Amino acid sequence: MDLLLSTDRIVRYLRAMNAENMKEWKIELTYRVDFVRGMLEPLIFVFPYVLFAMALVGGRTSSVLEGLTGVSDGVTYTIIGYIFMGFLNTAVWGMGFALRKEQWYGTLESIFVAPVPRWVYVLGMALHSTVHQGIILFFQIAVVYVLFGVILHVQGVLPVLVFIGLMLFSLVGLGLMVSGLALIFKEGWIVSEVLYSLITIVTPIAYPLAVLPPLLQKISLTMPTTYAITGIRHFLIDETMGVGLWDSYSRLILIGVCWIVSGLLMFQVVDKKVRREGTLAEY
Amino acid sequence: MGNDLFLIKEEIKKNIKILLCYPVEIMFWAIFPVLWVIPFIFQGQALVGGVTSAQFKELAGTEQFVPFILTGAIISTYLFSSLYGMGGNIRMESYWGTLEYILGSPARKISILMGKALSESISSTFFVTTQVIICVFGFGLTLTMGKILPILLVMLLLVVGLYGMAIALAGVTLQIKESRSLVHTIEYLFYLFSPIRYPVGINPVIATVSLVIPLTYALLAIRGIWLLNQPMSSLWKYVGLLALLDVIFVTVGYLIFHHMEKKVRRSGSVAQY
Amino acid sequence: MGLKSERAILAQDIVKTFKKKGRRKYGIGPKITRDEYIHAVNGVDLAVHEGELFGLLGPNGAGKTTLVKCLSTLLLPNSGNVSINGHDIVEDPIAARECLGITTGGERTLYWKLSGRDNLKYFAALYGLSSEEADKRIDYLMKIMGLEERQHERIEKYSTGMRQKVSISRALIHDPPVLLLDEPTLGLDPSFSRFIRSFIKKDLNQKQGKTIVLTTHYMDEADQLCDRIAIMNEGKIVAVDTPEALKRKIPQDEVLEVKCLGHADFSGIGQRVYADSAEGVTIYRIHAENVEDIMSEVIQASHSARILSMNVSKPTLEDVFIHLTGARLTGEDDGQ
Ligand SMILES: Nc1ncnc2c1ncn2[C@@H]1O[C@H](COP(=O)(O)OP(=O)(O)O)[C@@H](O)[C@H]1O
Ligand SMILES: [Mg+2]
Repeated sequence: MDLLLSTDRIVRYLRAMNAENMKEWKIELTYRVDFVRGMLEPLIFVFPYVLFAMALVGGRTSSVLEGLTGVSDGVTYTIIGYIFMGFLNTAVWGMGFALRKEQWYGTLESIFVAPVPRWVYVLGMALHSTVHQGIILFFQIAVVYVLFGVILHVQGVLPVLVFIGLMLFSLVGLGLMVSGLALIFKEGWIVSEVLYSLITIVTPIAYPLAVLPPLLQKISLTMPTTYAITGIRHFLIDETMGVGLWDSYSRLILIGVCWIVSGLLMFQVVDKKVRREGTLAEY
Repeated sequence: MGNDLFLIKEEIKKNIKILLCYPVEIMFWAIFPVLWVIPFIFQGQALVGGVTSAQFKELAGTEQFVPFILTGAIISTYLFSSLYGMGGNIRMESYWGTLEYILGSPARKISILMGKALSESISSTFFVTTQVIICVFGFGLTLTMGKILPILLVMLLLVVGLYGMAIALAGVTLQIKESRSLVHTIEYLFYLFSPIRYPVGINPVIATVSLVIPLTYALLAIRGIWLLNQPMSSLWKYVGLLALLDVIFVTVGYLIFHHMEKKVRRSGSVAQY
Repeated sequence: MGLKSERAILAQDIVKTFKKKGRRKYGIGPKITRDEYIHAVNGVDLAVHEGELFGLLGPNGAGKTTLVKCLSTLLLPNSGNVSINGHDIVEDPIAARECLGITTGGERTLYWKLSGRDNLKYFAALYGLSSEEADKRIDYLMKIMGLEERQHERIEKYSTGMRQKVSISRALIHDPPVLLLDEPTLGLDPSFSRFIRSFIKKDLNQKQGKTIVLTTHYMDEADQLCDRIAIMNEGKIVAVDTPEALKRKIPQDEVLEVKCLGHADFSGIGQRVYADSAEGVTIYRIHAENVEDIMSEVIQASHSARILSMNVSKPTLEDVFIHLTGARLTGEDDGQ
C-alpha cells in the first residue's frame, strides 16, 4: 500500500471514488422498487421497538427511564437511537458488501486489474453509502416528526454532525473488515449479521448503559456507536452523558484509528489470501 | 404418483445435502433469532425497571414480557427461515443455471415445490427445537410436556399457510431474482402487523391489518396454550380462522406461481440476471 | 530498466499451485478425500518483446488463464518474478497495471444493468482518465467497434459478441502498451471472431504497435495471428517459436487425413498415425514422406470401416502439439 501519495495520485483516487459512487447510484436506480423499499424499511424496522415500548408503559412516558437518562419520553428516546444507528447498517451492508456484490456481478476481477488500490473502492462505496444514508435520515426525521411528534433541538446540530463524522470514521474501518470477511467466507452475510447483532446489543440504542450487565457495559465502552448515540441524543433531546464531551470525542478518534488500522490490515491479509488461492472470481 | 413421491424425496435429499454444506448457516438460524430478542429485554428493563408490567398485561394477557417476546421470536423463525430458505434456494438454482432444467423437466411443478417446502420445514423444525432448548435453559422459559402436542398442532396449521406463501414467493423469485430483499420486506411487515414483538392491540390500524395474517392466529393460539394456560376450547376460533386463511393462502400462492411461471416462460428470462 | 525497450513482459520461473481442499463428510465431519494440489502453472519462463503478438496455445486446463492472471496481478504466484514494461508486479503493482489492458473470459464481467457507455465511463475513471478524456476515448472506441448505435442500451440487451467488444474496449480504455487477451474469441460466431481477430492483428498490433499476449485453444487462430507461439500443456511451456518454425520442428511429412465411419486399423502404415473419433466417425491423420505411396495400403486396411473422405495436407500446429506432448489439443473439454 502506498503511503506516499502524489497530488496526481490523489486526484486519480478521488476520481475513482466518485466514479464508484455514481455507478452505484445508477445501478441502484435501475431497481426502482428496491430503491423505494430501501427508503421505507429502516422506518418500519423502528416501529416494533417503539410499539413495544408503548405497550410496556401504556403510553410514552416512563419514570424509570427518566431516572436513568433524564429523558422521560421512551418513544423519542428509542426512535433517535435507531435512526442514527442506520449508519451502522450502512457500514456493514453497504460498504462491507460492495466487493462481494462485484463478485456476484462478475466484475470484481476487472476492477482489481485497474491501477487503483483496493481500499479506494471501499472508500468510494463508503462515500456512496453515507450520502445514501444521509438522505434516508432526513426522510426519517420528517416522518417521525409527523407520526410521533418527535421534536429535536436544532441548535444541537453542529456537535451532532461532529459525532456522526467521528462515528463514520470508525465505521469505515468496520466496513473494510466486513469487506474482507465477505470475500473469504461463503456465508459472509452471516458474519456481518453476527457482528451487527452483537454491536446493536451492547450499544445503548433503546436503553441506557446502566441496564446492561457489567461485562457488556465494559464491551460497550469500546464501541464507537456508544459514544456517538449518547452524544447525539444529548444534544438533540437532553440525555445525560456519562462521559464528558471532549472525552467522548477523543475516545471516538482513538477507536476510529484502531478500527481503521485493523480494517486495512485485515483487508490486506484477505486480498493476499484470495489472490493466492485464486478465489477472486468465485462466487 | 409414484414418480412424484420419488421426486419429492430426491428434492428433499438434494436440499438437505446442500444445506449441510453450510454449517454456519445452520448455526445461525438455530441461535440468532433468540439473540435478537435481547435488546427488547434490556429495553423493557429500562422502561419499567423489571420484567413485569401491568399495562402490558391489559393488552397481552400476561404481565411477563420476556416469555411473550421469546415465543414470538421462536414461532416467527419457523416462518422466516423457511421463506428465506425457499427464496434463496430458487435464487441459487437460477444462478447455477439448474433452474432452467428443473422448469424444463416434465415433472409436476407442485411436486418440486412440495419437495422444496418440505425440506425447509425439516430444517426449520430443527432450528426451532434448538431455540426452544436455548430459551428453556438460557432464559428460564418453561414448557410442560402436555402442552407440546397442542402447540405442534397449531404449528402444523401455520406451516400450511406458510407453504402458500412459499409457493407464491418461488413464483415471484423466478421473475425478480433478488428475493432476499422481498423476504426482508415481508419480514418487516410481519414484525409490524402481527403480535411477534408486542400485542397488536396497541394500535387500532395494526390490530386490523393483523387479522389477515395467519401468524397472528398462530401466535394467539400458541401463547394461549403455552403462557396463559387457556383451555383448547377457548382457542378453537383462532385455530378455525387459521385453517381458513391456510386454504386462501395456498390457493392464491399456487395461482401466483402458475401465473409467474407462464409469464417467465413467455418473456424468457429464467436464466438472466 | 535496460530491458524496457525490448521486453514488454518478462516472467521467470512462475509457479502457481492451487490447493483443492479434501471433501468432508457432511461439510464438517472428518475428511473423506485428501487435499489435492493442482500445479496449474509449473515453472514458466516467458519473454515477450515490445510490439509482438504472442500466442499461448494449449488445451482447456493447460494453465493459460492462470498464467495470464498471474501476469496481471490478479493471482499471486507461489514463486517467480514478473515485470511488465520494467515494473515488477509485486513491488509496484499499480504501475504495472497502468501499462496493462486485460480481458478475462466469462459472460459476466460487465455491469449488466448499466449501458455499454456507462460501463466504459466507470472503468475510465478507475484508470485515471478525466471525464473529457474518457468521453473522447469512448467515442473513438465505440466507433471502431461499431457499437455507436447501441451504446446507451444496457449490457443485458447485448449479444455475446457485442459484450466481448465492450470488454475489449474496456481493456483499451487507457490506451495501454500491453494487452493480455484471454480467449478473446471464445464462444463467438465466425463473423464476430473474424472481426475481433483482424482488429487485434491489424489495428492493435500492426498499426498501434501494442504488445499483445493472446491465449487460445484454436490452433488456426494462433497460426494466423501470432508472431510467436508458446505451446502450453499441463502447466508447462513445451515449445516457443514462430508458427513456421514450430511446424518445421516435426519431420517434414505430408499428412493424409482419412475420415471413416467406424474403426479401421491403420497401424504400421506411414510413419505415425493419430486417431480421433466422435459419434462413430473417426478421423485418422497418417503421416508419411509421400502420401501417394500409402493410398492403396490405406484403402485395403479400411475394409472394416467405410471411408467418407480423404485429404492431403501439411502438418498443422495440432500435429506439432501431438508430437510434443502425445496428447490432443482439441480433445474433449474438461468442462470449466
Ligand atoms: N481457483 C482455482 N482453484 C483450484 N484450481 C484451479 C483454480 N483455477 C484454475 N484451477 C485449475 O488449474 C488448471 C489450469 O486452469 P486454467 O488456467 O483455467 O486453464 P486454461 O485457461 O488453460 O483452460 C485446471 O486444472 C484448473 O482446474
Ligand atoms: Mg482459460
